[in-house]
Order: sequence, then structure tokens, then C-alpha cells
Amino acid sequence: MRAAFSDSLVALAKKDPKVLLLTGDHGYALFDAFRKECPAQYINAGIAEQNMVGMAAGLARMGFKPFVYGLAAFIPVRVVEQIKLDIAHDNLPVVLLGDGAGFVYSHLGTSHQSTEDIACTRAIPNLTVLSPADRFEQTLCMQWAYECTGPVYMRMGKSDRGDVHREPLQAPLGALLPLHEQAGADIALIATGSMVKTARELLEKTLPGASVYSVPAIKPINTQALADVCNQHRLLITLEEHHTDGGLGSLVCEVSSTHAPRRVLRIGVQDRFSHGCGTYAYLLKEHGIDVDSIEKQITAFVQANPK
Amino acid sequence: MGLGFKLHTQYKPAHLRKTVLDMAWHGKTVHIGCAFSIIELLAVLHRSFLRYTDNNPLAEGRDYLVLSKGHGVMAQYACMLERGWIGPEHVTGYFADGSDLKGLSDSRIPGLEVTSGSLGHGFSVGVGMAMGAKLKNTDQKVYALVGDGEINEGPIWEGALFAAHHQLNNFMLIVDENGFQAMGTTQEVLALGSIADKLTAFGFETRTIDGHDEVNIEQAVRELWASDSTQPKAIVAKTVKGKGVSFMEHNNMWHYTRLNEDTYAQACAEVAGAQP
Repeated sequence: MRAAFSDSLVALAKKDPKVLLLTGDHGYALFDAFRKECPAQYINAGIAEQNMVGMAAGLARMGFKPFVYGLAAFIPVRVVEQIKLDIAHDNLPVVLLGDGAGFVYSHLGTSHQSTEDIACTRAIPNLTVLSPADRFEQTLCMQWAYECTGPVYMRMGKSDRGDVHREPLQAPLGALLPLHEQAGADIALIATGSMVKTARELLEKTLPGASVYSVPAIKPINTQALADVCNQHRLLITLEEHHTDGGLGSLVCEVSSTHAPRRVLRIGVQDRFSHGCGTYAYLLKEHGIDVDSIEKQITAFVQANPK
Repeated sequence: MGLGFKLHTQYKPAHLRKTVLDMAWHGKTVHIGCAFSIIELLAVLHRSFLRYTDNNPLAEGRDYLVLSKGHGVMAQYACMLERGWIGPEHVTGYFADGSDLKGLSDSRIPGLEVTSGSLGHGFSVGVGMAMGAKLKNTDQKVYALVGDGEINEGPIWEGALFAAHHQLNNFMLIVDENGFQAMGTTQEVLALGSIADKLTAFGFETRTIDGHDEVNIEQAVRELWASDSTQPKAIVAKTVKGKGVSFMEHNNMWHYTRLNEDTYAQACAEVAGAQP
């Protein structure tokens, strides 16, 4: 996924000299290729995210297409006001890249973990919010972000969970990507980012009769397509490596409640910070979003909502 | 643009102050003192330095005046009126329901490059514009006008490091040092010490001037642009909050106070009396 990100960014920058990469002193090895291929389009703004995002607005006003890279804990969360006022207010074409979202930095604690970034960005007008799940979605999202005439936040989470798609994707911005659809399915799993892989595992292990959808664009979403999914299934289960409030689960509930009321189980991070230190797998378990914990939640949900 | 009224192009401070008073009166607005301290600075920039092809506020390749100190926006409106970018109806209709001109800078208004009021934002946008002009190899200049209270904000110092590191000598920071911020003097709230020394230490080529002396302002700006140094430029303008109206000068009440019939009449008389 990281290679897909780097390759896409280098390809875009080589094709378009207006593309700039700004980093807040992050991305040590990740940008080797970019620095080698497009050194004049690379700006390390230092450990100064507020200024970097404000500058990106100034550069966009001058006709550039800045891609602003940081950890999701900092870009966007530390600079929400700069995104709102300097960039989104004027619909400027700046792409904000928040890497390491969710529990990627499992050993480092709360400062580097990010489970509120979607909630923080969804409510900002004009801002597109993307959340790719694998290398194919990453490439698709980079293309969407490049083509977008307004601002974009791209959430980049756990990157080494493997593919969920089998081939390169083509889809309009806002599309739901079906991974497994079957007529008459009772349950739909709707997931984003790293948790799409988990949804696939659940499909194979626990819920072979379910439909599975990936949501690479949280905003805008194809509301009709999502409403159709709600209509076609009796129970909905959302999965995200993010707080259950304000993210994908909230989005599905919002659309469902308006267009096709359904029972929704929102799998995600509850209203708490991480307590312990450990591996990524440990943290998923601590927060109850590892496969075993999710299976228990789903079993209880299904039992509580019999046909 | 059909103006329908006489265009003033002299940017006389007394005239600009009168416009501010009229706007504040019609709109029943605050922040008069904030606007009065930057009148001469804006007058000189508009009269002698800012380049707008065909007087178009959106002209490609224009210089950028970034009013990071959004609280002084009425002073910029007064200059925009002289340019014909806004009309007298914007003065009499200031703050009417659904009107465009707000109490702080809104970038969607041609002539206001940034949205500010939340402090420390415009400065960074201006640094980005200066960087953009360097990358595009244009001769555009960027002026960022900030308040002294505003430089409490961290991004100012982040951007100052960046501007110096990248040798943005097309960037000029102008600090309106009127000595006051919302809750008191800058000395009382968060002592700044010597702003000029700080900016010099950050790598700026710096001048300290009387911010109400138009000759002094013009000379400092010319000298800094004439310098062959690669440093970004800074002017620390010593100013008086509420300048031009005796009962407003050095009185922070006029950050918040609205005019009544008596104070409006008295202020207008003082401003008119100051007119050469």
C-alpha cells in the first residue's frame, strides 16, 4: 500500500509540475523516490504543522496542487482550524494525507494514535474524506484526490494487511465497492480502511452468507447506493478502526435512518483512549475490534434481532 | 466597474478614518481602535506599493496584502472604497442582514486575500504565497500585516523560521505594535520584549518605524525592497491604538465599544479637524 502511495505520488508529480509535496518532517524512507525524482517539488516544512497547512493554502492560491503529509494524529487533528479556515473555506485544492491512522503506532501511545480524525473532518464543508483499504484503493484514492478541485483529507491506516481487491479499480468518487454481494443476503458488512480486510475474514469464517462492501470515500458518499444496500439487507454491521461516533458507523446510521431504517451494529473504537502498550494485534484486542471480539458482538447482535 | 461616485485615490488618513467611523456608526460595530492603528500603514501600501493591474483586486500576478490582523478590516474596507472595489452602500449598509462585508476579514471578498480573525492564520498563508511566487519565479511581493497581540500565536514563529530558511525576500511582515491586545497591554498579558530583536534573531531584515508617519513608512518599505539581502523583511510599526481620536487613543475600551450619537459626532469632528 505504501509503495502504491509513493508510486502514485511520484507519477502525479512527474506529470504535473504544479504538484508539491509538503511534509512536517515525516516520511523518512517513504519519500526517497519522490525526493530523487522530483526534488524541486519537495518541501520539508519542519515540525510545524500549523504553518505548513496555512502555507499549503497560500501555495494553492498561487496555482499549485499541494499534497500535505503528516501523521493522522497531526494532519488533520492538530490543524483542524487551519483546514477549516485557510483551505476548506475557499475550497482550495489541497490534499491532506494523514498516515498511521488508527492504531498503527500501537507502541507509542495516545499521542500518535488517531481514532477521531474522520469525525473531525466530516463536518468541515467542501472537504472530501477518503479512507483506502488496500493498494488498489490507495491508487484509486490518489487519482480521486488529484482530480478533486477542492480539498481532500486522505486517511491512511494500517498498510500491510494485504489486498482486499483482486485488480486495479475504476469507480466514480463516492462509490461503494462491493466485495461480495449475494441476492437475499440477510446481513451487510460495510467497512472502511484496515477493517475491510477484517470484514473479508468474517465473510470467510463467520458470515458466509453476508454481503461485504468497502467504503473508500466517506464523504461524499453515493447516498442512493448506500440506501439501496440498507434496503436490500435486514441487518447492517459497520467496521472501522475509528471511534464509533462520527465515522463510518455514524454515516451509515444517518443514511439508513433517513432512507431505509435498519438495525445497525457499529463496530469500532468505543469512547476511550488506549490503556496498554503492545502490538497492533494487541491493541485491536484491547479495543474489542479483533476478529474474535467482533464475532462475539455479531453473535449477540444477531440473537438480539431474530428474523 | 460603474462607480457612480467620486473616486478618491489619495488615501488621506483623515478620509480613511472618517470611512471607518461611518461604517462603525452604521453597523454599530466594534474594533474601531484596531482599525485606526493601521490606517497610515495601509494608506502607504495602497498608494505607493501594491500592484493591481487595471485596479483589479483579483488581477493575476498582483501583490498580496494579507490582513492577518482581521480585526482591523474596516481600515482595509476604507481603502477598498477609495479604489472603488466597494461602494458607499457598503458603508451605510455595513452589518445589514445578508450583507457581504463582515466584522473580520473574509477571503471571498475581492481585496481581502485571507480569512482571518482567528489569529496567526493569514501570516502562514502569506508565507505560502511568497514561496509560491519564488517557485513560479514571479516578482510578486507579499505583505502580511499582523497585530502585536497576534504574535502570541505559535504559527507566526513557525512561519518566521520557514521564511528565513527559504530566503523569502519577497515577503514583508508588518507588525502593528500598538501595545494592546484584547484584555490589556501586551506587557500585561504576555510580554513580548523587543519584537524587532526577536525578528532579527529569526533571520528577518528588520526596521522599526513610527507607524503613523507616512514618509517614514514609505522610506522603510523602499529601503527593505531595495536591499540585496536574501532575508525576509520585517517592519515593526510603533502605533497608537485608536489613533486620530483623542478619547480613543491608548484606550482599549475602543476594542469593544460602539459609537453613540455623541461619540460619533465628536470623533468625526476630530478626524475632520485633522485633515490638512
